[in-house]
Amino acid sequence: MSGFVRGNFAFMGKVALLAIVTAILALLTEHAFVQKEYAIGSFLLFAILALNFTYLTKFSIPLKFFVPGILFFIAFVIAPIIFTLSMSTYHYQTGNILGKVEATEQVVTLGAEPDANGTTFDINVGETPSGDFAILVSDIANNKFFISTKDARTEVPASSVTLDENGVATAAPGFTLISAETLSKSDDYSRIHYKYQDKFYIGIEGQNVGAVFQQSLTYDKAAGVIKNVVTGDTYKDNGRGNWAKVGAPDEMLTPGWRAPIWFENYTKLVSDEKVRTPLIKVFIWTVVFAGMSVLTTFALGLLLAMALNRKIRGRRIYRSILILPYAMPSVMSILIWAGMFDTEFGAINNLLHTHIAWFTDANFARGAVLLVNLWLGFPYFYLICSGSLQAIPTELQEAAAIDGANPRQIFRKITLPLLLQILSPLLIASFAFNFNNFNLIYLLTGGGPRETLDGQIAGATDILISYTYQIAFGNNTQDFGLASAISVLIFVLVASISLYGLKKSKVMETFG
Amino acid sequence: MNRKRLGLFGVIASAALAITATVVPAAHAASEILIWADETRGPHLTTLFAANPNVIPGSTIKVVSFSSYDALGDALDKYTGSAGPDIFIGGNDWVTKLAKSGKLAPVTLTASQKSKFAATNFFDLTYKKKIYGVPVDINNVAMVYNTKLVTTAPKTYGDMVDFYKANKVSKGLKAGLCFTGGGMAWGGLSGLSALGADPYFMRAKGVPDVYKGFNGTTFGNNVKKYLLDANGKSNGFFPATDTGCADNFKAGLVPYATLGNWEWKKYADLGFTMNFMPVPGVVAGTYGHMFGSVNGAFLTTNAEKHGVAVAAKSLLTGYFASAAGQIAYEAIELRPPANLDAQASASVSEAQKNMANAATLAGIPQIGAFLGSNAGGANYWDSSGGYWTAVLVQGKDAVVEGKKLAAMWKKNVAVGKADL
Repeated sequence: MSGFVRGNFAFMGKVALLAIVTAILALLTEHAFVQKEYAIGSFLLFAILALNFTYLTKFSIPLKFFVPGILFFIAFVIAPIIFTLSMSTYHYQTGNILGKVEATEQVVTLGAEPDANGTTFDINVGETPSGDFAILVSDIANNKFFISTKDARTEVPASSVTLDENGVATAAPGFTLISAETLSKSDDYSRIHYKYQDKFYIGIEGQNVGAVFQQSLTYDKAAGVIKNVVTGDTYKDNGRGNWAKVGAPDEMLTPGWRAPIWFENYTKLVSDEKVRTPLIKVFIWTVVFAGMSVLTTFALGLLLAMALNRKIRGRRIYRSILILPYAMPSVMSILIWAGMFDTEFGAINNLLHTHIAWFTDANFARGAVLLVNLWLGFPYFYLICSGSLQAIPTELQEAAAIDGANPRQIFRKITLPLLLQILSPLLIASFAFNFNNFNLIYLLTGGGPRETLDGQIAGATDILISYTYQIAFGNNTQDFGLASAISVLIFVLVASISLYGLKKSKVMETFG
Repeated sequence: MNRKRLGLFGVIASAALAITATVVPAAHAASEILIWADETRGPHLTTLFAANPNVIPGSTIKVVSFSSYDALGDALDKYTGSAGPDIFIGGNDWVTKLAKSGKLAPVTLTASQKSKFAATNFFDLTYKKKIYGVPVDINNVAMVYNTKLVTTAPKTYGDMVDFYKANKVSKGLKAGLCFTGGGMAWGGLSGLSALGADPYFMRAKGVPDVYKGFNGTTFGNNVKKYLLDANGKSNGFFPATDTGCADNFKAGLVPYATLGNWEWKKYADLGFTMNFMPVPGVVAGTYGHMFGSVNGAFLTTNAEKHGVAVAAKSLLTGYFASAAGQIAYEAIELRPPANLDAQASASVSEAQKNMANAATLAGIPQIGAFLGSNAGGANYWDSSGGYWTAVLVQGKDAVVEGKKLAAMWKKNVAVGKADL
């Protein structure tokens, strides 16, 4: 057995495993660099080096145990926090997604305006005797033909060209056709502006289609401005991720880019009423929801744990049944509950012979959310309360009983305080979990109901994290910068509440 | 690290790189056009291009199917860099958002190509005067009536309500009119519009009237007259949600329903007559508007990055927009083609033609710049369903809420016109 753990076999196994991991990471690294995701690529490269160095040397034995965890911690905890923090300082929303260089390139590309008549020609792509790309253009309506390159346009007499069955020129003196198969290997030829007349050029709009364009927008890199050569307008970087027209700053070119606006997203949380008012309402409901969820699930879990702490017939069966909701995937449970709450066809209204619009009335929706969360959460507290109750020495309760305390007094003065001392960290963790219980809200109510006709963005059951999602992804204008700022706020709140709770419960002293 | 270990590291690194080099395919083959589509279109496109592999000489076509239309929309929203497709087939309501964010690339169609489509088709594909795709097929709903319950086509909205009230108990009707497909916002426009609420109006020349809004009071009073009882509660004719509509219609418990043009065949197979018509308005001869929009094949900026821009443009303009391409595709997809020549083709079924006729009679273009605008407080997609919930479920005043809706949509249009 020890040979498998320490011998050559184990060593070869380690080498093989390391080779596979390295290969997978190398694959991901390559993809990352191809996608120009340099930060991710660099991290993956670092991971390859760190893993190989750690496991192929005796530099540090403890590191062999910690390094995978450290790498995952960096990738999935530290990096998202840094990214979110960073994005919260950016003007990063629909219309301002790209980097500045790419956005500027696209602005210039979109600045190619078709001529007034929308002139298009049948073309064939080929090359000149000197090897330059050229197009053989057929102006069929006027029976004219010409060869265009980047720099020159040469007329070709109709008598000199070879025509196909559609009257499109396929061959001419000084022009060698390139096959579609060859052209498909690279589209360098398509980026060329082929000479037409005056300021107009022919751009390639398909394998055999050329259209006449004029480049109206040009980027003056030295001056840092975009100029419209047709209208004479100049567009300057407005410092917020857009090229804005000089003299009319509201006229902006699209697309824009992500631009740093530092603390503006944070100040918006306080100063912008459209953001502040729903945020306060959502915050209050989040605290109520998380608090009530912890309270109700703990209360029911404790009640059942106490009931089943006594020796009763069929206790094992009851215990098994009680943990069933915990064993079932929560997504499935939530969706089943959502169906049961349906106004028209739901089992709950059918059983109660009512017609309650559970998800369109704010109070009923909140009640439904708490009820479903109680169903999902009580088995957890039942389990931990059961264990904790058994950990409380029975002598204490017996002594209290001898001193004349009744069961209620024993529970209030002995059992509950001791339980709370044991369970405080778990209660705090449960509060923090429910503070961010996105799945429940998203799947059950979608954050609604919303008074959309009153312009409400936040729904009655939206908690901070679902509201953040709504801002980031739930709308036609997605504001990732603002959503990131709210995420940072949630992080600070949850961290503060957790730290405060942990300090109060003195749990941290155990680790001192 | 001793030499032995270094050597071992070298061996591992070499092995890893060798494995990587052999295993890794090129990220995106230079001549491969990547198309994204949803769960119904994706498999159909795969079938189409398997049968027609040489549509674009020198290029291959790869289709990636997503699990749903929403999943496709999410993926389009979220991809970064050059990870996305060269072309995607989908809804025009994404145009504004994606074009604004620099994910779409413009397409130039020849005058001859444009003439093969209704001019209004291009509203749906345009952002700031640039066209970003080609129309593929008509995307609309139309109403059918169950001939086992109703013998003649209704002339007015009132006819339908009267029928419902007269037969509600005797025939056990669950509702009078409901929407089987397209949801309460997109599919449900005709329900709003028939009573007077339109998100925008079109002028005779086929351009939107950006100054006109609907009359919230008239609309609200129509809602009171046709959909509410004397006590202000829903009379049951029109449910606030589409849940159960399809099942109830199939079971003969709803006389009038709108069907999506992607789903008509399953109803036809069940024996329903495809007597498509728009939802009649409150006055005979008028109809509730419905989105007679088009689904588009859109070009993304990735095509340029992947080096397939020319091939992708050829695929769009030379195949997806062509009569031959649309006839071949719609023989599998079964929606009405957008190309006028393809529509006239004998190979297009009668039901497809009826659907297209209904769209011609009462269709309005789906203008994403207006519908997606939140300037008034909420966009069309959220506020339209919100009205029904407020009035039919929460019992709020139909006129007060109607006025709010009218003001909201008017502002959405006023601001959204900048994105046309």
